[in-house]
Amino acid sequence: MDSKKRSTLLTIGAVIAGYTALRTVPSLLPEKLELEALDRPKGFRRFIAGETSGTFDAFVGLDSPDSMGVAARKAAAIERVSADICGALYGDLDMSSARIPLASFSDYYCPFCRVQTKSFADMTSKMPDQVAIAWHELPLLGDSSNLAAKAALAAKRQGAYVAFQERLMTSPFQATPEYLARLSEDLGVDGEQLVADMESPEVARELENSAALAQVFAFVGTPALVIGRTVVQGQVSDRMIRRIIDLEREEGWDVACVSA
Amino acid sequence: MKGAVSQIWAGLLSIVLGCVSILVFDGAHAAESETFSNPAVTARLISAEDGIAPDAASVSLGLALEYGEGWKGYWRTPGEVGLAPEINWSGSTNLKSAELLWPAPERFEAFGIENFGYSGQVVLPIRARLEDAGQPLELRARVSLLTCSTVCVPHDFELSLALPQGVGIDPNSARQIATYADRVPAVPENSDIRISVTALDSRDSALIVLATSDAPFDEVDVFPEFGPLVTFGKPDIRLDRDRTELWAKIPINAWTEEYAEPSVTITDTARAITAPITLTSDPPAPPFSSANPRSSVLKVVAVAAIAFLGGLILNVMPCVLPVLSIKLTSVLKATGQTRQMTRNGFLFSALGVLTFVWALAAALVFLQWIGVSVGWGIQFQNPVFVTLMFMVIAVFAANLFGAFEITLPAALQDRLGASNAKAGYISDFGTGLLAAILATPCSAPFLGTAVTFALAGTPLDVIVIFTALGLGLALPYLVIAARPELVTRLPRPGRWMLLVRILLGGLLLATAAWLLFVLVGVAGGRAAAFISALTAVFIVAASIPQANQWVRRAVLIGCVLLAVFGSGFISSPVRTTASVDAMSHWQDFEPLGIARRVSEGETVFVDVTADWCLTCKANKSLVLDRDPVRARLRGGSVIAMQADWTRPDDNIARFLERYDRYGIPFNIVFGPGSPSGIALPEILTPQAVLDALDTASVRSLVSE
Repeated sequence: MDSKKRSTLLTIGAVIAGYTALRTVPSLLPEKLELEALDRPKGFRRFIAGETSGTFDAFVGLDSPDSMGVAARKAAAIERVSADICGALYGDLDMSSARIPLASFSDYYCPFCRVQTKSFADMTSKMPDQVAIAWHELPLLGDSSNLAAKAALAAKRQGAYVAFQERLMTSPFQATPEYLARLSEDLGVDGEQLVADMESPEVARELENSAALAQVFAFVGTPALVIGRTVVQGQVSDRMIRRIIDLEREEGWDVACVSA
Repeated sequence: MKGAVSQIWAGLLSIVLGCVSILVFDGAHAAESETFSNPAVTARLISAEDGIAPDAASVSLGLALEYGEGWKGYWRTPGEVGLAPEINWSGSTNLKSAELLWPAPERFEAFGIENFGYSGQVVLPIRARLEDAGQPLELRARVSLLTCSTVCVPHDFELSLALPQGVGIDPNSARQIATYADRVPAVPENSDIRISVTALDSRDSALIVLATSDAPFDEVDVFPEFGPLVTFGKPDIRLDRDRTELWAKIPINAWTEEYAEPSVTITDTARAITAPITLTSDPPAPPFSSANPRSSVLKVVAVAAIAFLGGLILNVMPCVLPVLSIKLTSVLKATGQTRQMTRNGFLFSALGVLTFVWALAAALVFLQWIGVSVGWGIQFQNPVFVTLMFMVIAVFAANLFGAFEITLPAALQDRLGASNAKAGYISDFGTGLLAAILATPCSAPFLGTAVTFALAGTPLDVIVIFTALGLGLALPYLVIAARPELVTRLPRPGRWMLLVRILLGGLLLATAAWLLFVLVGVAGGRAAAFISALTAVFIVAASIPQANQWVRRAVLIGCVLLAVFGSGFISSPVRTTASVDAMSHWQDFEPLGIARRVSEGETVFVDVTADWCLTCKANKSLVLDRDPVRARLRGGSVIAMQADWTRPDDNIARFLERYDRYGIPFNIVFGPGSPSGIALPEILTPQAVLDALDTASVRSLVSE
């Protein structure tokens, strides 16, 4: 082969390689795992995911302005969860095992929350010895949102949290006794117990804790996620979540809990 | 000269106006509130008037919103999820009431969930009434609104605006408010759109809306509102030919009898209407074709070329190949023919192909015109058609095996077997016709695209595309017609011809067996048994050498008539689904449930098939029923739905039409990664199916 031919071939090869790089590299770039340490709470860090890393004020729920009593209870809840962040985040999960804990925060009226809930449920059922998940409800969007959150937590007490989310996927939540009765029947849970749990102080306290955690972590909205000691806001790929899980396992996620 | 002067004047005027507006803007009372801003949304309260004029009892305000890139806000009815913006005016002085107006929304789909709202820029006009006319107005607006991209971020903020006594207009704000006030749907009295019927279908599973308009519809959408407890899926909207009549079917996702006062909003490019409605229970049938954009000449030519290619490929598809065999035998027999006769013979075959294609085009145009949903191959849904086809093919096969060659009446023999003589041309013509008829249950690459395009277009499009298709299918005949000497290249007749005949007869027999199988699907087992018995009688009657001519004719005609009428009567009305075994991973087809399942994060594979669709059978046995695709479909991570179009089914026809398909096989994958579906090519490959399943099931991606 003479040199002219060879150089032509090389040029063509370079063009093809350049084109391929141009096509594939940008799609790989956002998968970069970039983390930023948080000042508060100490020991935690934030996954930087493009657009959602903007400058939002920490969220404000769409409620009527707080009365004195409510404000005091919120302050108390913040103090309570700050004293034991990991306990509040991961609740009853077995911290001693090799499993990495995930805390999922979602709202009934947020479209992507439903997809994420289902995705996490799948993930835990696929690798039960690697991850454990704690479900939090973060009803930011008014009264119906609040009621649905209470029902979801009440369902969680009977082991039907994921089933509840799936059942409500595209049908609006209704707070009527008939609706709740039918819902319980569909989910195979005890209806009376569900209604009782919805108004129970435990559920109210759980909601307060989740809201306080959101405040402490300065979530801007839903869905939000904490994996080990990494805070993730917004949509991320399953692959990235797995990478973060691996990273948490390598580094030992519980350093945050020790320092808290 | 005159024009230049007026231009200068116009220029001067605009400069003066500009100065005025700058002056007004910079004046002490800019008619704007402070700005609330974050990456998701920027919000201001604006006013058309700089001050409250003496005796003014009302003032035009607006909530100006600008959503960040990728962020969306909601309409007064947000859809399945989401939350409408709200403004609380407490703390304002001299404000009697404030009415928030809603410009026509846009529809957006996220993760399979339908939402209505706004993106980019929007101004929600506000009509404020004063308590004391002519007195200053102090506004304190507590705004709560939700914005969503991949996260939902609620905002709660306060905007204030003071309008003292005074006169003057803020032209910028006034223009903005007026622009968006124009987009607020009109009341029925002021609109040229009239909503004539709104009805629920029998199972409360869909809302059907009928509307007419003086001006043609352009980009039209329909938004029903039944209060927060009733939600709807994506509508199927159809327009008539001059685009002034609209029929829409909107699937109901959640229903309650205690719905709020219902209304329907119809939006079109530059107009909209919101009308209160009364429900009836008599839903009108779908009359028109989908609201598709019209096509350009260049596009028609390009698609015609695709159709030609598709037609050519059809020749080697399994359904047409046996017919080529008939043509071949006639050529082998007719080696004594002159060049001219051979040429004419093949020309007649080509004409036969074209004739059928034109007849099909005409029938399709007619059916489309009377509003019947049409498709490629649907004549195989008709038991009478399948019966006739079965008989013709079976008799052909018997003929090739030599059952009744010797004693067949001359006229009939000419029609079937083809020898020299002028009657041979009829047979040539018939061969072409048969090739075209048998081509219909097969779908070749490119064909779906072309037929789809034609059926969505005007009658002229249909004729052009189908002609191109017919020419492609007839190309082998045309080539021989152009160069008849090619025939002489064929070997001389001899003993080997017997072998060829048996082989070709075998192919035809296989075709007949397949048609019988289709008949079982279309008309039921009893009808199929009845018709195959009649066909057997027909062949026996035709092949008994000593039979009386008249008796024979009576028996033959009797068989055909009995079969044709019998197939209509005996066919069992409902298809027995006993063949679907409980262990199958295929579920029943539920088009209305797909969106819900996708929103639940599941992946749905839909296979539209039919007994008469040979390409479907090939896909099934070569790809769908083989690992790795079978393993994937059975694995539990995918919901596999099968729609059986062997018999006419309006739901399936509508489903196909929604994805711009008019023929099968049709395979499509829905999932969180592709809520609107990934349509697969007609001929499946394992890799294509697996790739589509992968893409569809990806729940989230950081990058787009």
